[in-house]
Amino acid sequence: MHGPRMRRAGWACAFAPLLGIACSGGSAPVPNTIAGPADNVAELSVDYGLPGIGYLNGLFATVTVCVPGTSDCQSIDHIVVDTGSSGLRILGSVLTLSLPAWTDDSGVALAECGQLFSGFIWGQLQRADLKIAGEQASGLAIQVIDESTYLVPSDCTGFDASTAESLGANGIFGVSSSLQDCGTSCEARLGPRSVNPGVYYACSSATAGGCQTAAVPVAKQLQNPVQFFSQDNNGTIIELPSVPAEGAPSVSGSLVFGIGTRDNNGLDQAKVIRLDSGGDFVTIYTANGTYSPAFMDSGSNGIYFLDSSTTRIPVCSDPLSYFYCPGSTQNLSAKILDRDGLVTVNVSFSIANARALFAARSNVVNVVFDNLGGPSAPAQAGSVDMGTYFDWGLPFYFGRNVFTAIEGQATPVGAGPFVAF
Amino acid sequence: MHTIPVGLTFLRKLLPRCAFFALLLVSQPAWAALGEDESSVAADKAHFLASARILRSERYTLHELEASTGTKVREYLGSDGKVFAVAWQGPFRPDLRQLLGSYYETYLKAAGPRAARGPINIRLPGLVIHMSGHQRAFYGRVYLADHVPQGLSTDEIR
Repeated sequence: MHGPRMRRAGWACAFAPLLGIACSGGSAPVPNTIAGPADNVAELSVDYGLPGIGYLNGLFATVTVCVPGTSDCQSIDHIVVDTGSSGLRILGSVLTLSLPAWTDDSGVALAECGQLFSGFIWGQLQRADLKIAGEQASGLAIQVIDESTYLVPSDCTGFDASTAESLGANGIFGVSSSLQDCGTSCEARLGPRSVNPGVYYACSSATAGGCQTAAVPVAKQLQNPVQFFSQDNNGTIIELPSVPAEGAPSVSGSLVFGIGTRDNNGLDQAKVIRLDSGGDFVTIYTANGTYSPAFMDSGSNGIYFLDSSTTRIPVCSDPLSYFYCPGSTQNLSAKILDRDGLVTVNVSFSIANARALFAARSNVVNVVFDNLGGPSAPAQAGSVDMGTYFDWGLPFYFGRNVFTAIEGQATPVGAGPFVAF
Repeated sequence: MHTIPVGLTFLRKLLPRCAFFALLLVSQPAWAALGEDESSVAADKAHFLASARILRSERYTLHELEASTGTKVREYLGSDGKVFAVAWQGPFRPDLRQLLGSYYETYLKAAGPRAARGPINIRLPGLVIHMSGHQRAFYGRVYLADHVPQGLSTDEIR
């Protein structure tokens, strides 16, 4: 997309067989620049994840949490960097610090049933200082993922992702375009009764029924930590290298804080896609012109879009039926439109046969793939399933610098929320 | 983030071997879980504290609740008076135990450990489950495939 480089890549690809290099599809990722060490740069890795558990396309960083105002700190690795949620969540089983409770105005401990679209993460809120790279957020509410301090309420439902095994990570660093994970809906009341839809709870005892749904003011909710940094607080950039077509066992990249706040985080030629109030934009699948609401999500491990009858790409047989398994790698394209339809960006992507990608090799386990995807919806007999999300997961991020600007925070191109790449 | 569990132990285990018609607006909403009839539930209106309406069409009756928090829940009842489909869209996912009723446990089992961290698409004999979206924007629908009225496109369930 950046002219000169694109032409160079195109030239190289034309001679790929001679040069002995690999070019994926007609749209070899343009080599992007990945920021080197700096105060606003944290290291990213996409790797196997927790030993014995494993993770496909898991984007990880290490964070340091401290007892507020002290040097009593702990570094925790394998925290998923997630542009699809907001808030820092850490597994209670790995946390060795004793952190103070985060309470409502009357001193009652707050807990959360964090909604991740198909599952939930349960645990109490506690107060901590967060340090990452040279940035710090002090006195931050974090969620400690833990089902033993307070029992999971019966109306906190869905798949339980509150353990290391089910989470596959030591926590989640939610850096979406939202300031909070919930927002004004969670402070809503109707008369004396909270209409908070089962997200925040006030916990008066550890016994069954000890936690009751609670309205929680926005300021008391789980917050996107980046907004509290003293500088570089308007968003993030995820910078990852491209990945060979067959995948890789690991890659590393950079998580850069701030947009246009320093010489290492300018937007340059990146296209700005402004988001609607839900954090969404629009994607048109080029092959047949199907419109979908869409979002960027580094916490989704594939590109999940449409359904197999619309794309005519077969899904894998069970138990991999969440992925596409085309006979040969499909080179596809889509148009990304901002919320007003004023900006259009053409994007190329590839979908390989997931079963073939996962095929075991003698001495290496590839877990990093830029061509992994699956359907967003079940196939419909004889009809097109409209209206399901186009989920641009981690594969989209490889070979790109993807900006996420936080709602209401000023940047050189105006306030967020937007994504840019 | 779409957390769906589990990792790569799966790899080792697996791979070595391997038109809308006119809707009539009526009053008096009720609320029911998938597979049950509308008289089966009363408590849940309070649960959602929602504005509600009932829409009738040729093929089904639609109970639509819009919670004050913005999530819309729709329940589709067939001519036998039983709920054959539920759908939701909005900033919050509804209480699935309540909404899916006796199918909740089936969903939990089917949604269990897998390598995909993305949307849920489960197709079981007679039961189709689809959930997608992200924090603050959830979308889902679940239907009993064998009870969808003849001639109704499942695309209409949304």
